Amino acid sequence: MTPKDLPHLPPSEPAFAGFRGTAAPCLTLTVNGREHSVVADPTDRLSLVLRDCLGLAGLKQGCLEGECGACTVLVDGEPVNSCLILVFQVQGRSITTVEGLEAPDGTLSPLQKAFVEHGAVQCGYCTPGMVMAAQGLLNRNPSPDEREIRHALGGNLCRCTGFQGIVDAILSQAAQ
Amino acid sequence: MSVGVRTTSPRDLTDLASLTCGYSGPIAFIAGGTDLIIKQSGMDWPGLVVDLTRLSEIGAIRVSDTMAEIGAATSLTAVAAHPVLNRELPVLTQAAAQVGSVQIRNRATIGGNLASAVPAGDLLPVLKCLDCRVEIRRRDGSVQRKGFDELVVGQAKTSLANGDLIARIAIPLRHGPNRASAFAKIGLREVLTIARLNLAAVADFDREARRINDIRLVAGAIGPVPLRLDTVETVLRGRVVGQQLADDALQALVAVVDNTIRGRRSRPYKRRAIAGLGLDLLQGLFGRAFEPPHEMRFPA
Repeated sequence: MTPKDLPHLPPSEPAFAGFRGTAAPCLTLTVNGREHSVVADPTDRLSLVLRDCLGLAGLKQGCLEGECGACTVLVDGEPVNSCLILVFQVQGRSITTVEGLEAPDGTLSPLQKAFVEHGAVQCGYCTPGMVMAAQGLLNRNPSPDEREIRHALGGNLCRCTGFQGIVDAILSQAAQ
Repeated sequence: MSVGVRTTSPRDLTDLASLTCGYSGPIAFIAGGTDLIIKQSGMDWPGLVVDLTRLSEIGAIRVSDTMAEIGAATSLTAVAAHPVLNRELPVLTQAAAQVGSVQIRNRATIGGNLASAVPAGDLLPVLKCLDCRVEIRRRDGSVQRKGFDELVVGQAKTSLANGDLIARIAIPLRHGPNRASAFAKIGLREVLTIARLNLAAVADFDREARRINDIRLVAGAIGPVPLRLDTVETVLRGRVVGQQLADDALQALVAVVDNTIRGRRSRPYKRRAIAGLGLDLLQGLFGRAFEPPHEMRFPA
């Protein structure tokens, strides 16, 4: 899902957060199975650092209040709003973004494919958050029913699809 | 860049005390951050920001025969899913399960909900209803205990001094077949919604005789702090559950709204909402023993 032209920096080289002062410390984050050193303000939101330092622009910073869910990532396997976490709090935790679901050769995960096949994507803004909330649900409950899926998506807003395609896509991934 | 801000993630309370003891400036404690980060948005953080998510001493639930002790940094997901709490204190687990979304509950903590002390906080009426005692760690490492009313003193206002940390919340347990408790909430949506009104109740209910021996009832989001509903308790205490009782209880609940928020624009909505919530609550408390009335009457 990551556009391949995004500036991915090698993990050995600390990424720079932009014009945020000169004395910002170096933090170590484990994202999508790889350790990254980032130069960032420890009180920056995780969502900002993932996007601006690591180029993981799948997640969106929508409302910055935990209402829209577009910034959803997994921390230690559980879905969370990355806009409501200070980056220093998750050093040493395992962070998974939507980019981490695809195979190394860029093949989409079965859940991502299901989103495409079921027309669960229109403008695409909410999609990475939806996918990660769904992945979090499937991690905990491999065979959710429609009610459980809708409940698990309560923290993710979509203004295009009317949700049905999204629910169908996730339902298709529920273990029989 | 937050200039001069120190961030730290202590591993135990001794570590924490050694950090805070020699520090006299303002401290921000952060666990889930789901309220605090929004509140701090666009503002400078205090000189010391302490992450509480690695303090396992205050991140667990311990239940003994007489007491449930919940670490303040326990997530609402963990509170809602705890099997013993589900059995002993459904009022608490039901409330925790209705806060925010899955993402919020995975981060938000019981201590944070209490410390923010906002009028619509879902756990506030519950913790008041359960007569909790709150263990507070002071900057120098000393320990203080406060009851709910000593801690939550106004709208989004606690009696915590800067550097005071809510460490644990202790809730007395009363066992027996008569024990019943329930929570009811209404907001604009079913999930991820701020309570327009919520109710928490704990009762001693004789299931055989269908009699309410005793009851404690607290409402939230109706004033700056949770409100104990003594007048409604008086109507319910000692009575047998049935249609007449439900009718009387709902009238008493509506009277609470009328008296508490007399001049407020939300009054017409909340006087109807509290009646509906009252029905949910009675059903949650008494289950099949309670049949809702066929018709609800509203005083003019």
